Amino acid sequence: MSLMNIALIVYIFASIAYIVREIWRSSVTKWVSLGLLILAFCFNLAMVATRSIEAGHPPFSNLYESLVFYACCTAFIYIVFEFVYNFRIVGALAAVLSMLILFYATLQDDTIRPIMPALKSNWMLIHVVTYMLGYAAFGIAFVTSIIFLVVKPFAKKTKGDAGAEGKEILPRNFDKLSYKIVAFGFPFLTLGMITGAVWAKKAWGDYWSWDPKETWSLITWLAYLVYLHTPLVLPKMSINKSKASVMLSIWLLVAFGIVNFTFMGLSYLPSAEDSAHVYGLKK
Amino acid sequence: MKNVQQDQSGVVSEIKDKKQMNQGEKERYGSDDSNKVWQFFCSVKLAVVIILVMVVACILGTVIVQEKTIDEYTARYGYGLATFFKVTQLNNVFHSYWFSFLLVLLCANLICCTIKRWRNTILQAGFILTHLSIILILVGGVIKLQLGVKGGVNVYKGKSVNYFLTQRLTSQGKVDYIKKDLPFEIALDDFILEKNEPKFQLVSYVKSKDRQKVLEAKPGKRYRVPGSDYKVTITDYVPDAELKQEPVNTSDKVENPAIFVKFSNSGKVVAEGWLLAYGRNAYEDKKQNLRIEYCWIPSQLELEKSLNSLEISQAKVTAAIAGQLYDYSLEFNKSFKIEGTDYTIRMLQYALNYGDRRPLEEQPTDNPAVQVEIAGPEGTEIRWVFEKFPDWDKMHPAKYQKLKLTCSGIAGAFMAKNTVRILHAPEGKQVIVFIKDKKIVETVPWELEKKYTVKDTDLQLLVSSYFPSFDFKKEVIKKSDQVGTPAISVTMEGPNGKVTDWLFSNSQYATWYPDNNLALVYEPTGDTIKHFISKLHIVDNGQTVAEKAIKVNDPLKYKGYAIYQSSYDPEAGSFSGLQIVKDPGIPVVFSGFGTLCFGVIFIFYIKPFLRKKQKKEVKEVEE
Ligand code: HEM
Repeated sequence: MSLMNIALIVYIFASIAYIVREIWRSSVTKWVSLGLLILAFCFNLAMVATRSIEAGHPPFSNLYESLVFYACCTAFIYIVFEFVYNFRIVGALAAVLSMLILFYATLQDDTIRPIMPALKSNWMLIHVVTYMLGYAAFGIAFVTSIIFLVVKPFAKKTKGDAGAEGKEILPRNFDKLSYKIVAFGFPFLTLGMITGAVWAKKAWGDYWSWDPKETWSLITWLAYLVYLHTPLVLPKMSINKSKASVMLSIWLLVAFGIVNFTFMGLSYLPSAEDSAHVYGLKK
Repeated sequence: MKNVQQDQSGVVSEIKDKKQMNQGEKERYGSDDSNKVWQFFCSVKLAVVIILVMVVACILGTVIVQEKTIDEYTARYGYGLATFFKVTQLNNVFHSYWFSFLLVLLCANLICCTIKRWRNTILQAGFILTHLSIILILVGGVIKLQLGVKGGVNVYKGKSVNYFLTQRLTSQGKVDYIKKDLPFEIALDDFILEKNEPKFQLVSYVKSKDRQKVLEAKPGKRYRVPGSDYKVTITDYVPDAELKQEPVNTSDKVENPAIFVKFSNSGKVVAEGWLLAYGRNAYEDKKQNLRIEYCWIPSQLELEKSLNSLEISQAKVTAAIAGQLYDYSLEFNKSFKIEGTDYTIRMLQYALNYGDRRPLEEQPTDNPAVQVEIAGPEGTEIRWVFEKFPDWDKMHPAKYQKLKLTCSGIAGAFMAKNTVRILHAPEGKQVIVFIKDKKIVETVPWELEKKYTVKDTDLQLLVSSYFPSFDFKKEVIKKSDQVGTPAISVTMEGPNGKVTDWLFSNSQYATWYPDNNLALVYEPTGDTIKHFISKLHIVDNGQTVAEKAIKVNDPLKYKGYAIYQSSYDPEAGSFSGLQIVKDPGIPVVFSGFGTLCFGVIFIFYIKPFLRKKQKKEVKEVEE
């Protein structure tokens, strides 16, 4: 069985384990679920490592390689967060997210091809790694937003129940968690964009040329910048607090859509034919 | 487990200081009117609105193709929209007046809010740095637009240039090239194109799944073709191979009878080759108006009959409908009703080489076809039926898809002036029939290695060998040990058993498994340029002042200009395409980049720790 299949299956098991843990809370279920996810992450990391050895270059030269790495980063960021915050059910969806990204990779062309001259740069390495870590954090924020939006209507009903505190599905202040994750990911996104600009200057002579890929990475950055500034505006706008957190969560869903469009969807744009940076363009 | 509320990080945490701030501001900025304007430019609301408008602008700037000629817009979007784009500058969003205005507004907003919020505490450092950095980057951008240039030039090996060309879109929407002089000369000493070792890959295609996948090409291992139950094993590999096909006889049983025929004219061989009774069974010489056929007759009895009849392969059209087959001889302008159906067919004409305008007797029998008219319940349909492409109608729209027509023997329907028929039957009975003007003139028994003269010509005919079971032995020859045209031998396993075949990397055709569902191709992989390098030197005032071999990613810099490798002559490799950039804004922009990086790291990673520490200290003091 290939590493890919093993990783996919272990991700699924990890996801199931997280659901079991939600129903039957104990330290055993907690460590089993986390352990499975770490195992899946290790398999995923092994895929990245073997690929870079086989190809003889950093493993991000095409969409297949980038997706495998992206899945790996998502799992990694989630695991880091789980040690810092009380996440619980988020793990189930995070594992599914990694699994879906990996699965999407299996649909791509996985041929090892020699990389083009412009990609041979250390800036590219930093650029891709920081971007992927940023994207991964936004992926987790996407997951927490979904959970918040889905669980919120039910959470209200049980609120009066004082004894049920410990049994509540969402930890307290769950809505603020998304904000913290975005705040964690945003510097990575910023670094990714800047190293990208520096690299473009080295390789193509211009740090910014309004190429579709560049423009969309700016759109992504602006989308999260707005998200980070809105808490300063909302209190002035007489919007009640719970409505505000719903709006912010929805905004995160949209923003994550933009992330994925920037990452994979640009070849659908009419201007993509002029771009130097778009994956998977058919000649 | 931590309590989430305790360590708010990032921008949100600042809200708490707000109330105290407003008090101080009112004292600083007196009158109410100017206060309103000031408040407007300071507000985060404005910031959010500007950013959202920028997002929309950016989306428009990628959805609408940018900086194209007016003709292209008209062709793509129509005249009305094209004019609209030109007026609103949506054809060049990022250099439009309104986008610049947006950036100026953004700058004003940033400056105002930064001044308003300025406090000399370490916790503010990140906020100030990030906002300042964006101003720096924008200022650097303006410097680039005002003082920078970017263009390109091609230099030939051994030549030098002292100018380059920049591109500009005129107000009429046309592309204009402007020549810019350089304060020095760039000379190309040499251009080097480094290629990667060629690589080859084995690609599988499963038709029923429409799925293409690259297989690992490691010899000896058995692979499952992804998404199917086929198995593939590479059994051999030759780095530089050539295919030799040698005719062989595989058995004494008559399975695929073939003869080798030689024609000579006064002792010299003018034509020779294999004739296969069940394959390419005829040779034609249009100049001599001669046709030679090799026919295998399965029994003695039939041979006797054939000796006296002209027709051996009867030309016919076959209609297949609802699992039934009906044969019709090639007769023109006669209608045949297909029994038990509503269809009537009529043959209109035929050709020996479809599409050939010459008269029939001059056409080679390359692509014989009959034109047939079908009358049915939905009117008539006229279609060409091809002898060699029986499935043509499957791939082309036809009115009566259910009725399948094929034809055979068309090539023999037209008789050359001289026809030589070499008849062959079991038990050594073998006769040559000479036909002239559709009449049998002579029949002679034949033997191997004996010459027979063709009547009325100078030609002599000789059958030099006979294989009852003709086959090609495919032999792969290794030409060298270097990687040239590699070939692999592949064993495919599937519902029809095991099949082994050689795949050549230079073959244009896929190799199909017998069920016509799995195809394999062995091919070189894409782009094989590793590096392209230009060896340049710069001459200023008659002196060589700089020298460098530039690559993509590694430019030569001189006097504020940077010279980049950007392209090359794809055919002869005799010129190098250079990109020439001058941007005095770079130091400003890059210091903005640095400040921004440090700023965001400070706000989101350092500040939360500092806050926590401060809080602890406050608590300790209180206690
Ligand atoms: C990396 C980019 C940015 C970061 C990290 C950032 C961060 C911050 C922070 C931490 C504050 C709160 C300061 C305080 O209350 O002391 C703030 C306020 C503000 N930011 Fe940004 N900012 C960024 C970019 C921008 C941009 C592009 C604009 C666009 C105009 C902007 C407009 C504002 C405004 C107007 C305020 C003032 C809020 C007020 O006065 O109530 N910021 N920003």
